[in-house]
Amino acid sequence: MIVAAGTFTAPSIDWFALAPLLVLLVGGLVLLVTASFTPQWPKHLYAYATVALGLAAMVVAFVQWHAITRDGPKLLVGNAVSYDHFSMFGIITICIGLSLSAMVTDDFLRREGMEGPEIYGLYLMAAVGGIVMVMSNDLIVLFLGLETLSISLYVLAASNRRRAESQEAGIKYFVLGGFSSAFFLYGIALIYGGTGSTNFNRILTAFDSVPLQRKDSLVLVGVALLLVGLGFKVSAAPFHFWAPDVYQGSPTPVTAFMASVGKAAAFAALFRVFVVALPNWKDDWRPVVWVLAILTLLVGSISAVVQTNVKRMLAYSSISHAGFILIGLEAAGHSGASTRSGMPSSMMYLMIYSVLVIGTFAVVAVVGRTGDGATDLGSFRGLSRQKPWLATALTVFLLAQAGVPLTSGFIAKFGVIEAAVDEHSYALATIAMVSAVIGAFLYLRILISVWLADAEVGDEKREAMHIPISTGAAILLCVGFTIYVGVNPEWLIQASDRVVLVAVPVVGG
Amino acid sequence: MVIAIATPTTTWYLLLAAMLFSTGVVGVLVRRNPLVMFMCIELMLNAVNLTFVAMANKLGDIGGQTTVFFVMVVAAAEVVVGLGIIVSILRRRPGATADDIAELKG
Amino acid sequence: MGQYLPVVCLMILAILFGVVSFVASRLLAPRRPSAAKQAPYECGIVPGRELPERFPVSFYIVAMLFVMFDIEIIFIYPYAVSRQELGSFGFWEMIAFTAVFFAAFVYVVARGALDWGPVHKYRRLDSAVSAERTLSSTIRRVGTEGRLDEKAA
Repeated sequence: MIVAAGTFTAPSIDWFALAPLLVLLVGGLVLLVTASFTPQWPKHLYAYATVALGLAAMVVAFVQWHAITRDGPKLLVGNAVSYDHFSMFGIITICIGLSLSAMVTDDFLRREGMEGPEIYGLYLMAAVGGIVMVMSNDLIVLFLGLETLSISLYVLAASNRRRAESQEAGIKYFVLGGFSSAFFLYGIALIYGGTGSTNFNRILTAFDSVPLQRKDSLVLVGVALLLVGLGFKVSAAPFHFWAPDVYQGSPTPVTAFMASVGKAAAFAALFRVFVVALPNWKDDWRPVVWVLAILTLLVGSISAVVQTNVKRMLAYSSISHAGFILIGLEAAGHSGASTRSGMPSSMMYLMIYSVLVIGTFAVVAVVGRTGDGATDLGSFRGLSRQKPWLATALTVFLLAQAGVPLTSGFIAKFGVIEAAVDEHSYALATIAMVSAVIGAFLYLRILISVWLADAEVGDEKREAMHIPISTGAAILLCVGFTIYVGVNPEWLIQASDRVVLVAVPVVGG
Repeated sequence: MVIAIATPTTTWYLLLAAMLFSTGVVGVLVRRNPLVMFMCIELMLNAVNLTFVAMANKLGDIGGQTTVFFVMVVAAAEVVVGLGIIVSILRRRPGATADDIAELKG
Repeated sequence: MGQYLPVVCLMILAILFGVVSFVASRLLAPRRPSAAKQAPYECGIVPGRELPERFPVSFYIVAMLFVMFDIEIIFIYPYAVSRQELGSFGFWEMIAFTAVFFAAFVYVVARGALDWGPVHKYRRLDSAVSAERTLSSTIRRVGTEGRLDEKAA
């Protein structure tokens, strides 16, 4: 049953179109091998190399964005990979997340005394996995990308070997991640059985000739299992249990990476699968997504209220953000991918949120001090007196996450709610706004600690907070992006509107 | 002595795979030893492999069989990483179960 | 079927003999277990808790590498079977695959994952020990004085 003689034709490979992926992959391998032979080189070079690779991939993606605008999207490598605006938008988001996380990680590792190239190698591999997910046009390719991302993230979560919490986060993430991957894979197997292919285009057109079989139960179960598997990865309620533990236990910069790159890639995959490959079953999955979105919004914003650890609070806030993006998915399910709808606003949300969450966790990493343990709400008390600029930056990030106007968060939230209203999902839009109000309470609680409360007794005995240069630069960049997009959002909205064009699969080859 | 053997159809394999998969799911949810939970995840992945092969056979398509290779590789990579994490936890605390590993709460 | 009868009989006899001996020893032998009999050592300090076992990680790392190379074969084997049909595309594909794999292997070796045995690197303790401490000042010679006393007594 191996390839029958004479039937094999080699797929043509457009190396330029795959360049962002190759830059990160080859760069990561070279970084690891070089670093293991040159232990005497200064350790911060690894971070610089990672940032440089991230920026290089981003520049290539920008060039390709314009190339796609000029020449139109296409499918690559035997229709398994799609080269379109959606991919490029996702790649740019991932590269932003990668570069900013690497900047924060450098100082963190030096402080914790765990410097080495491994973390950056894993960052790069995770980013490669994320890019494969974003570009995939085949369920198996998507699965391989998902696993490349997830396995790197398991190791990253457990990478602080001195802290039991980090190990615990690693094992929890691993067991639940593996569990959800198995569900996802079973879904792929059933869809393969029902439609005869794992390729998105073939799945889309599988029942064109026999429309009556569209309710094939095998495929329906497969769609449900795919939703469960990806729901775990994007931490949608009721599959969110791992997120608070993992976010709290992982080293803080890794949490930032997970919440930005991991989430962006998982959501991009969700859009690819459901909007691009499975629109024929949208009447089946849309109500489920509707329920998931509402549950996620409410669980995220209500559970956050009782937390006392800031990393945990931010984990719940990340769950509630996932709820907002699910609203975008629901809206995209209504109208399909070809009109102004949930898809561009969700992609824009992901980019804005990635920057916000890295900025927020960068501040948390600084406040966490050596040992990465001081992340309870008490440690943030009196921050405005010790480090007023840091407190101001944190305020900007939290207000933006709450969705206050003139910040990027407002643009993001407005985008998805507008998309929901356009599709007449008024209930969803209302609940989203209610949960945004509940969520605002959480951010206010942190801000009150930062600005109004006095420092804890005995705080002066603790190690002084120290803002290292590259972390400071990362925070500054994040603040700049947040405010700039908040005041002047047109360019981002226009760019993300192009993402719409790509969602229709191009039958090529 | 003649034993009547029914010819197995694809449905048999799919049912067997579904049962294996459910066994794995129940195992992950019920068992508390991280190593056993991990074995149950492997069982789930192999149930999926069986599904893929059965489907590929039914459809007469090579795709499902090549997919199994990739799944096996992914499973192996998960084994390596998962055992690494488990080993590093068990070195610290021998005999830890999933209930012992509960410092993160809220 | 008849020609196998002696074998079956012998097998039944063997199983019966084993079972009977086990049951007989269980029934006939006097059993008076005590804590001292079941202790792992007959003398010495009674262990208070189970001690963590020494776990050499190098075994684990080698097992892990074995798994990875085992898996590499999964991809190489189908290629080897249909090498003709895949042509030069397949060849370069395998070269790329092996190159990536080899890079990982080089990394593993360079980080010393395959170094066995004791570490042959001696650390100098100059910074940890003050200069006044020498062999003669640190080690008190014991024994001779005591023995002289004993002889005197």
